Amino acid sequence: MRPRSLTAFGFLAPYLLIFASFWLWPIIYSFYLSFMSTRRLPWTFNPKMTWGRVVQDPAFYNALENTLTILAIQVPVMLFLATLLAVMLNSTLLRARGLIRFAFFAPVVIGEAAYAAVFRLMFNTEFGVINKVIESVGLPPVEWFSNPDAAMALIIMAVTWRWVGYNAIIILAGLQSIPQDVYEAATLDRVSPRQQFLYITLPLLKPVILFCLVLSVIGSMQLFAEPYLITNVGGPGGATETLGLYLYRQAFLNLNFGYASAVAYTIAALAVMISALNLWIGRDKT
Amino acid sequence: MASVTLEKVAKSYGSHKVIHGADLNVKDGEFVVFVGPSGCGKSTLLRMIAGLEDITSGDVSIGETRVTDMVPGDRGVAMVFQSYALYPHMDVARNMSFGLRMQGNDKADTDARVGNASVVLQLKQLLARLPKQLSGGQRQRVAIGRAIVRKPQVFLFDEPLSNLDAELRVQMRVEIARLHSELAATMIYVTHDQTEAMTLADRIVVLRDGNIEQVGSPLELYHDPDTAFVAGFIGSPRMNFLAGRTENWADGLQSVALVNHGDKIVKIPTRSALATGEEVTVGVRPEHLLAGKAAVGGFAITADVVEHLGATTYIYAGARSENPLIVARTDDHADTVGDQVTILPQVGKAHLFDTNGMRIR
Ligand SMILES: Nc1ncnc2c1ncn2[C@@H]1O[C@H](COP(=O)(O)OP(=O)(O)O)[C@@H](O)[C@H]1O
Ligand SMILES: [Mg+2]
Repeated sequence: MRPRSLTAFGFLAPYLLIFASFWLWPIIYSFYLSFMSTRRLPWTFNPKMTWGRVVQDPAFYNALENTLTILAIQVPVMLFLATLLAVMLNSTLLRARGLIRFAFFAPVVIGEAAYAAVFRLMFNTEFGVINKVIESVGLPPVEWFSNPDAAMALIIMAVTWRWVGYNAIIILAGLQSIPQDVYEAATLDRVSPRQQFLYITLPLLKPVILFCLVLSVIGSMQLFAEPYLITNVGGPGGATETLGLYLYRQAFLNLNFGYASAVAYTIAALAVMISALNLWIGRDKT
Repeated sequence: MASVTLEKVAKSYGSHKVIHGADLNVKDGEFVVFVGPSGCGKSTLLRMIAGLEDITSGDVSIGETRVTDMVPGDRGVAMVFQSYALYPHMDVARNMSFGLRMQGNDKADTDARVGNASVVLQLKQLLARLPKQLSGGQRQRVAIGRAIVRKPQVFLFDEPLSNLDAELRVQMRVEIARLHSELAATMIYVTHDQTEAMTLADRIVVLRDGNIEQVGSPLELYHDPDTAFVAGFIGSPRMNFLAGRTENWADGLQSVALVNHGDKIVKIPTRSALATGEEVTVGVRPEHLLAGKAAVGGFAITADVVEHLGATTYIYAGARSENPLIVARTDDHADTVGDQVTILPQVGKAHLFDTNGMRIR
């Protein structure tokens, strides 16, 4: 190696060292672990207890189903809202734009514990403001934490609230990269604002929305904080247990690291597959 | 096709006045060019005709219809932008047909119009390409095609050739001229390039700081400018401006002493006598300066820079000063740097301007 490269690697060494020990090594080591039965010491090579269990564990399938349900409802709803929000934030009619943009971005920087506490308060069955509103229009109060479907809806709403602004800001950047004169040309072409949105804005936003979609899929596959903090660790009775939560239970409550590693690899593989599918469906056909 | 009429059209951005009340009548089928330096308000005026900018005061009519408060799409104008403004995700055919398709125009008719435009503009081979797969000249042709397909009353062009290289610019210029005669359409064309203005226009509108300085045919502006600004802007290379002092007047000729050239007297036709001793400017184009043997009784300059273009030789004197004197010689004389050249304005070709730049006739 030339001395100049050596100097460069010297400067990079601290980073590379940290990267290797806290990033690369866990990835490799957990792959090794995923073939080990770790129920009791000494650990033994036994993929049947890890990979074999993943494919037939009803608890895993429950978590998978919950995760995919959340993903299938939350991600489209959120991206739809984020696109609307981005268009609104981009409007020239809007006053105090900087402030409002920050306000919608703010949930991302709020601590998870604080945000979860607020949601728990707001959705509290007896004295939460949400049920107060529901009751005020004459409907029965919703059992947000003991009704499985309501708990699921609560998770979806919470996740959407937290990430919609973040995605809107990304989509807003996409909106702003569309040149204004294209819209002027369309206006002169007698294309209505609605048609401009459908046939110009949306197609040109596609790559950005696709990017948000992939980010959201990955995020949903790892969903953890909301079911842990808001719905009492995946309650009621595992109705909101997600893959992330299931992984956490196996690894850090049951201390079954081998099985947890296999679950982790399965989650990652699913995330990659779903994202690849999204990209393939949304690819440019030209 | 239709005429376009501007009545006291003005535009302000807040308190910043950009157009100061423009009056203009563009005749049906006429090719009018707005020309002027960058920032003088050409685009703003054009965009007000298109409806893309609000009109602060005044009125715009197209044909018999007052369009001041009409939305752009209803005015029957099509615009070609400097940036082309093509729809990036649509191929050439769809770029041209988009507007018609969105209005639910009959498909056979849309196809026929696109087919027709693509023949006129030689786009047949490119119909399935995306804008990013086209060269600048091809993109501009698509943008023009998109305008043609709409069969507008008026075509508006905003510096359509500025992003093209010099050779392509000349080629497209010819094509636009051909298009104008083929379509017999009313066209308003914005450029900062006086050559484009001279070659394309039926009439040129010279704009300066948001005011219409002069309107006229290219040759009117060239031969009979109202102001020193127009005289300097139209014609290339630029008109020479020489400081002068009025002397006597006789038989319709005003004598002016060129103060920087040994008080050499030149005689310029004017209607009446000026007071003696007034400060004036003498404007004379490089091509209207006689040189060498033809300039008997002229004054001498020293050539600082000499450009031989073959047919014409440009001699620059005082090249380091802010106002060099340029002489265009077509008499096949091999001048070199440092040569003394005798020059003399051709009789009747020099113009006189007062200290405000207004023409003295
Ligand atoms: N949106 C705007 N806000 C404020 N001033 C503007 C705006 N658009 C143009 N101007 C000003 O109006 C003047 C004319 O601009 P423009 O019509 O683009 O000139 P041109 O096309 O002749 O170069 C310039 O001084 C420019 O700074
Ligand atoms: Mg302009």
